[in-house]
Amino acid sequence: MKPDNPLVTGLALVAGLIFLSPALYSIWMSFQAADAFYAGKLKFTLDNYALAIGQYHFARYLLNSIIVSGLVTVIGITLSTMAAYAFARYEFPGGNFLFGAVIATLMIPSHISLIPNYLTLAKVDLLDTYAGLILPAISNGFAAFFLRQYIRGIPRALDEAAYMDGARPWQVLWRVIVPIAKPAILSMGLYVFITEWNNYIWPLVAVGKEDLYTLQIGLARLYRLNPGEGGIDWPLVMAASTITILPVLIGFVLIERHLVRGITMGAVK
Amino acid sequence: MSSIVLQDIRKSYKSGPEVLHGVSMDIEPGEFIVIVGPSGCGKSTLLRLIAGLEHCSSGTISIDGKTANDLPPQDRDIAMIFQNYALYPHMTVRENIAFGLELRGMRKAERNARAESVAETLQLTPYLDRKPGALSGGQRQRVAMGRAMARNASTFLMDEPLSNLDNALRVAMRTEIKELHRQLGATMIYVTHDQTEALSLADRIAVMKDGHLLQFARPETIYDRPQNRFVASFLGMPAMNFAPAGKLPGLEAAGDAMVGLRPEILSVQEQRPNGPAVNARLLFSEMTGSDTILHCDTPAGRMTVTATRRAIPEGKKELWIGYDAKDALFFAADSGARIEPSLQD
Repeated sequence: MKPDNPLVTGLALVAGLIFLSPALYSIWMSFQAADAFYAGKLKFTLDNYALAIGQYHFARYLLNSIIVSGLVTVIGITLSTMAAYAFARYEFPGGNFLFGAVIATLMIPSHISLIPNYLTLAKVDLLDTYAGLILPAISNGFAAFFLRQYIRGIPRALDEAAYMDGARPWQVLWRVIVPIAKPAILSMGLYVFITEWNNYIWPLVAVGKEDLYTLQIGLARLYRLNPGEGGIDWPLVMAASTITILPVLIGFVLIERHLVRGITMGAVK
Repeated sequence: MSSIVLQDIRKSYKSGPEVLHGVSMDIEPGEFIVIVGPSGCGKSTLLRLIAGLEHCSSGTISIDGKTANDLPPQDRDIAMIFQNYALYPHMTVRENIAFGLELRGMRKAERNARAESVAETLQLTPYLDRKPGALSGGQRQRVAMGRAMARNASTFLMDEPLSNLDNALRVAMRTEIKELHRQLGATMIYVTHDQTEALSLADRIAVMKDGHLLQFARPETIYDRPQNRFVASFLGMPAMNFAPAGKLPGLEAAGDAMVGLRPEILSVQEQRPNGPAVNARLLFSEMTGSDTILHCDTPAGRMTVTATRRAIPEGKKELWIGYDAKDALFFAADSGARIEPSLQD
């Protein structure tokens, strides 16, 4: 490997710090006592976290966000992978039209489907439920499109070899295609998870009960609940924000090494 | 081992011309069949139809007497070795070899033992825990063979399995395949465009061109009595010489037929021999080891002769090429079909 150029490394470090600075600043602020902070002094405390978790139910919101984003990711990516495999490998009547329809869904802004989704869920009595939060998000045209393109790049000879080895289509998908497409599936999973984690509008519309609030709703509510006499309690808001971003950061660090590896090396020829 | 019968197999792709035009073959259990032909002749398509990876447009494929047209590949008891090996990149050599056994529900200890025994036969034991990406081309080829062997399938299909190997390895693997056939006794159908592989491996050879089966016979028959000019020219290295009968002394009686003379039955001499001969001018020669291939210009056109290296003195350009009329093959000038002309008059 070529030794790193110190100038490039230095520039990358500076750029990284610039990007990280808001997050670092907010994490630092979340450990400051509000009174001291506004008085221009610094005093380390964990009270903001205790307050966010105890009084403002952020532990519950965190759990809700994990349940909703987790299930949307797992169910959505599973369905998208199956759809992608079908679109990549099978020719069936209306297949191209159907794939065109999937692509077309990418061109519809999500806010347009807000009211129809709300009315549909109201009709089947799923508002104010986990299912109401999860179901509209699990069909993901972009994931199906992205994974189809990836699967098309996997040599078809591998499917055929598996068929000759005695595999059924289902086994070809789960035992051969999915392991090879793992980097793409994990990348797409991370993307879906973060998108759902940050989703604000749909939970706001679909849920009224506080028990089902996700972190984003809780965070927004914190401003309204806690205007205080002197305005917003920023250290508390920053503690809540840290609770909001931390799981995503941890998740990213855990799967990052799987994202970039090319795995088809040595498959054919 | 299975018997495989193909009856009038036709194949055309959606909105495309027909690529197989009624191929029929009767393959005995345990036979080693080699399908040869130039690129695009339909040989790989035929193999894929037998494997069940594609469906024929019409005709019948029978395996062990049962129609198999609609049988999925998993249910045909056929193992296949692909030209590009198609190894599972995320599995180790052991897992690659044992995957088919796992799908058939064999217990882990048993299938690992089998994978290890196959690996030993193919000298792959040191690589059992490696993934295909860490293997050389020859090792990958052996893993592909091992994967097919582990299954104990009754029929093996091989689609140009040696074409990606260097020459020395190809020769070694050819011997191993022959040995494998002897050990397993399974029916083997082998596709190649390499005539040496075809002649050395096959019990019977099927020669194909443009989607037609031109001849299906034993290697000796194909070589000695090719049904037409294409078959005659496709097998044999260097290729058979063709010349109008009228321009070759002693063969004029064949009229306007084309005469085919294999390079190795010609003799090259400095003086005019007693039998029929044609004078030639040596253009250049190629040394192939023990032999030399002489490229000559004659009144009947360009001819190649396989001769021993010391057959002609250095620098000698004007030569005579002698032949025996009974070794000559005759082909109709228009259709190319082999004919048996009367040479009495």
